[in-house]
Amino acid sequence: MSASPALDKPKTIEESDSEPLLRLDGVCKHFGSFEALSGVNLTVKAGEVAAIIGPSGSGKSTLLRCINMLEPPTSGRVALGGVVVEAGQEPSRQVLMQLRRSVGMVFQSFNLFPHLTVLRNVSLAQERVMGRSRKQADDVSMQLLSRVGLADKASQYPNRCSGGQQQRIAIARALALEPQLMLFDEPTSALDPELGLEVLAVMRELAENGMTMIVVTHEMHFAESVSDRVIIMADGRIIEEGTSKQVMRNPTTERARRFLNAVVDR
Amino acid sequence: MTLDILRSIAAGIPWTLALTLVAFVIGAFLGLPLCAMRFSRFGAVRFLGAALILTFRSIPPIVWLFFIFFGIGFGYLQISPFQAAAAGLGLITAANMAEIYRGALAAIHAGQWEAAFALNLSSRHRFVDVIGPQLLRVALPSAATYAIGLLKDSAISSTIGVNEIAFQAYHTSQRTFHSLDVYAIAGLLYILISLPMAWATRWADVRLRARVAR
Repeated sequence: MSASPALDKPKTIEESDSEPLLRLDGVCKHFGSFEALSGVNLTVKAGEVAAIIGPSGSGKSTLLRCINMLEPPTSGRVALGGVVVEAGQEPSRQVLMQLRRSVGMVFQSFNLFPHLTVLRNVSLAQERVMGRSRKQADDVSMQLLSRVGLADKASQYPNRCSGGQQQRIAIARALALEPQLMLFDEPTSALDPELGLEVLAVMRELAENGMTMIVVTHEMHFAESVSDRVIIMADGRIIEEGTSKQVMRNPTTERARRFLNAVVDR
Repeated sequence: MTLDILRSIAAGIPWTLALTLVAFVIGAFLGLPLCAMRFSRFGAVRFLGAALILTFRSIPPIVWLFFIFFGIGFGYLQISPFQAAAAGLGLITAANMAEIYRGALAAIHAGQWEAAFALNLSSRHRFVDVIGPQLLRVALPSAATYAIGLLKDSAISSTIGVNEIAFQAYHTSQRTFHSLDVYAIAGLLYILISLPMAWATRWADVRLRARVAR
C-alpha cells in the first residue's frame, strides 16, 4: 500500500502528495448494449472531498461502484494507492481484497445487517477482515458509535433506529475498517430532510478531519459548502469539473447549465 | 383394549420421529449445495442442479423408497428399511429445501450482498455471518410446513417395513380386528405430533420476525 493519509489529521490538498490517491483512466461500463459510463477520467487526492452531482441515470452511482469493483468496469483502469486494477482481466482475489480494504462505502439504503445488533454490525468486519478480537473490535465500535452520537443504540437492532441513525451507524461501520477513501452513494436520498441533516453533520465532521471522500449527492448546499471539488455528470461522462464556485456559478456547458437551473429553481 | 391398541401403536412413535428428523436434517443440509448449484456460474452445473431437483421432486416417494430398498438394496448394497427410507425421504426433502432456499434468497435485499462485499468479507463469511442467518429466518415458515408434510409422508416407509406408526397400526389392526379404532388412534397420534411442531414454528417465527422486520 502506498502512503496513506492520516485519518484524523486535517490535511489540505496542497499539503498532500502530488500522486493522487485515486486515479481512474478511461473507465467504461456497459450493461448489455447500454453504456452507463463512457470513458471517465478522474483523480482524487488524499484529503480531498469530491461531490458528484447530475441527473438520474447519468452514471454517478455506477462510477462509485466501479471504484470498489461492486461493478467491475468493462474497460479502463482503476488505481487506488498502490493497487491497480485493469478492466478486462479478472482481478485476483488478493487484489480485490486490497482494493476494498482501502475503500469504505455508504449506501442510499443503509444496508445494515438486520439480524445483528448495532454493535455487531460495526464490529463484524473488523473481526473477520482485520483479525481484531471481539474486545478490540467492540472498543473501536463504541468509539465510532460515540463519534456519530449513537453509543446508546449499541445493543439495539437496526430496525429500532431511525433512518438517519441507521445511516450514521453505516458510516461508523465503514470507518471501522480504517479506509483511505470513503464513497457515499446518495447517503441522504432515502431520508426526510431533518434526518438527512444529522447524516450530513457527520459527513461534514469527517471531511473536516481530513477524510478523502467521494459523495454522490443531490444536496446542493452540502456539495457547495463542504466539497473541494464539484463534478457534474451526464450520460456517463464528466461534463463539468472544478471548485464548487466555478462549477455551480459559471458552468461552461449547456447541459450543466440546464441541470443546475433545474436544481436551483427548486 | 383401547389402551392395549394405543400402547402397541405408540411403539411406532420413536421411529416416526427419528425418520422425520433424520430425513429433514439430511434434506436441510443437502438442500444448500443443491440450491447453490442453481446459482453456479457454469451452465452445466446449473443444469445438473435443476435436473436433480426435478428428478427428486417428480418421482413419488413410494417409488423412491422401493427403488432404493428393493432396487439398490437387493444385491448392490446392504441397506436396512430405516436407512432406505431416510435416504429416499432425505433426497426428496433436499430438493424441496433447495427450492425453499432459492425463494428465501430472492427475498434477501441485494444491498445485503453489496454491503458484505464492500466490507470485504470473504465468501465464507458473507454466507455464514450475513446471508445464511437471514436465509434461515426467511425460510423457516416454509421449511416447517414442509417438515409437517414430511412427518405424514414418513408413513410410506411402513411399506418397506420401518416400524413406525402406520406400520404398527397395520399390524395391530391385523391382530385385533379393531381397524376403525386402530386407525383413528394412529391419526390422532399424527395430529398430536404435528401440533407442537406448528406451535414451535409460529413461536420461533414471531420472535425472529420481530427482529428482522424493518
